[in-house]
Amino acid sequence: MKPYFDTMDPFGKALKPGRIKRAASSADALREVEAGIGEAVTAAHEVGFPTEKINKRGWMTVYQRLEYLVDAGTWCPLHTLYNPLENAEGTTNVVDGLGQIDGRWAVVIGFDNKVMAGAWLPGQSENILRATDLAARLHIPLVWLVNCSGAKLPEQEKFYANRRGAGTPFYRHAELEQAGIPVLAGIYGTNPAGGGYQSISPTILLAHKDANMAVGGVGIVSGMAPKGGFDTAMVEELIAKANAFTGRPPGDVATHHDATGFFTRVYDEETGVLDGLKDYMRAMPAYGATFFQAADPKDPAFPIDDLYHLLPANPKEVYDFDEILARLVDGSERLEFRPDYGPEVFTGVCKIDGRLVGCIGNRQGYLGKGYPEYADYPGMGGKLYRQGLIKMNEFVALCGRDRLPIIWFQDTSGIDVGELAEKAEVLGLGQGLIYSIQQTDVPMMLVVLRKGTAAAHYVMGGPTANRHNAFSLGTPATEIEVMHGETAAVATYARRAAKEQAAGRSLDPVIEKMNELVERYHETSRPAYCAQQGFVDEVVKLTELRRYLQAFTGAVYQNPTSICPRHHMLLPRVIRG
Amino acid sequence: MAEDVLAPLAGKVLSVTVGVGDVVEEDDELLVLEAMKMETVVYAPADGTVSTIMAQVGQQVEEDDPLMTLG
Repeated sequence: MKPYFDTMDPFGKALKPGRIKRAASSADALREVEAGIGEAVTAAHEVGFPTEKINKRGWMTVYQRLEYLVDAGTWCPLHTLYNPLENAEGTTNVVDGLGQIDGRWAVVIGFDNKVMAGAWLPGQSENILRATDLAARLHIPLVWLVNCSGAKLPEQEKFYANRRGAGTPFYRHAELEQAGIPVLAGIYGTNPAGGGYQSISPTILLAHKDANMAVGGVGIVSGMAPKGGFDTAMVEELIAKANAFTGRPPGDVATHHDATGFFTRVYDEETGVLDGLKDYMRAMPAYGATFFQAADPKDPAFPIDDLYHLLPANPKEVYDFDEILARLVDGSERLEFRPDYGPEVFTGVCKIDGRLVGCIGNRQGYLGKGYPEYADYPGMGGKLYRQGLIKMNEFVALCGRDRLPIIWFQDTSGIDVGELAEKAEVLGLGQGLIYSIQQTDVPMMLVVLRKGTAAAHYVMGGPTANRHNAFSLGTPATEIEVMHGETAAVATYARRAAKEQAAGRSLDPVIEKMNELVERYHETSRPAYCAQQGFVDEVVKLTELRRYLQAFTGAVYQNPTSICPRHHMLLPRVIRG
Repeated sequence: MAEDVLAPLAGKVLSVTVGVGDVVEEDDELLVLEAMKMETVVYAPADGTVSTIMAQVGQQVEEDDPLMTLG
């Protein structure tokens, strides 16, 4: 298939000095947001005890373990700022992401042993489920660095029970194993109760010599029987029992290596555990990098730094999406699907590290005379019309047929509204796109370049509306909300304003509420909030985007559950005609 | 040869980036129109010198209205 894929159609053009000058303040604004995110990331890394204190105890921190375990330059962190229940600790207390271990992609996740010895905290199980879902969707191993002291008991009501509570990951591990996806665990420290099941539920358990895991820990074993309350005498009795307890913690290596054999191997050194994980990663099946390459990998033809001058910080400013894409894909080449139809979206085949991917993105700006063909108003990119929805449905279906992973780029204000749009079937075509996506069963990722708004955020591969979104990224320009704050203020308060005026009352209180709502929308749609709530899985610098695209594509093609020979593909033939 | 720059769509002139006598290159920004809640930049269709500017900030223009002339 060299004629199709060796050199595809080149696109994009070099930035002109005028554009660089004109976009300078916008670039500064984007970098300022990135700097703010960077500070928050640093703060998230520094929660809990200082690294020196952990090291003084003879332990490595979770970050030091990750650095030793993961191949240099491959770590793509996810959920760094995820803290949906706004824990005072500033973290859900797990650290996770995509990385290569001895050349093989894995989802890697570890408890932050700097914070309450890696305790369960509110919001943590949701974080863990994102990691197990990611391993399932990409069909790659899940590697755990277990170091979990169990539940933070004073807040257990926030996470212990419920359908997605702290025990949910244990059966998710079982589901991964049923799907043929191994779960490896490197186990450190004391892991009682919840920590015990975190340790026992993976496939292969590799333990440090001082590790233990148990149904219950020393705190429970040495405790007292409930008597309906506490008084001084009972607490003194409790203190005496605790001081007198001299037994070793239950479930150490003497028990779970020598007696039960649950621990497959035990290592004297912390790094030995990590070397063991590397050994097991090497023992797993994985396609080599070249197996699915349709062409030699190439860098994009234009510098990625251009993105700061191409993606406007101002959400109202129009730009050229194709120029963004040209900075991200191999050789700035593509095969565009139906370029003369549905001009508000780009659909086409591109390469990342020589491997084929389907790309879909919103184009911006005026769409030309007579479009949309069913309306008497002009069409603007960012919005979705009948043709664009039909085109995406067709493209997605063909990607599913040809087993091509899909990368979505959103900057959308929504689907066209009004009676003419309804007659043009946009409601059914939008839901039809959700159906088409579900039918594909191919992994997808999403980049919310700027706006992710209304139902369009759902139907364009958003994480809310399908099972195939592996992860979503935000940028410094990301803004996710049901509609713009000003539109929401009008929808909420217009009738009330009319009533107040008719009653002869001052409009000032209504105006104040409208402006408050606009402000609240702004605060709750920006990148940091999106990351904290999990609307996106990570906010990344523009210059990091291609690296995440490479991680996604590399992971997808490592152990695919189904394949389509390139010479059997239909989409390239449909494009070429 | 003089060339009129036409409004690509109906909208309000938000800003005019160039002045009479300015030398521009193809794709240089000339002015910004606001329409459908979006800001659309109008670029120079070819190299030239701005000889006349008809568009005024705040003015409502219709599709194909002349905005300026490049000489």
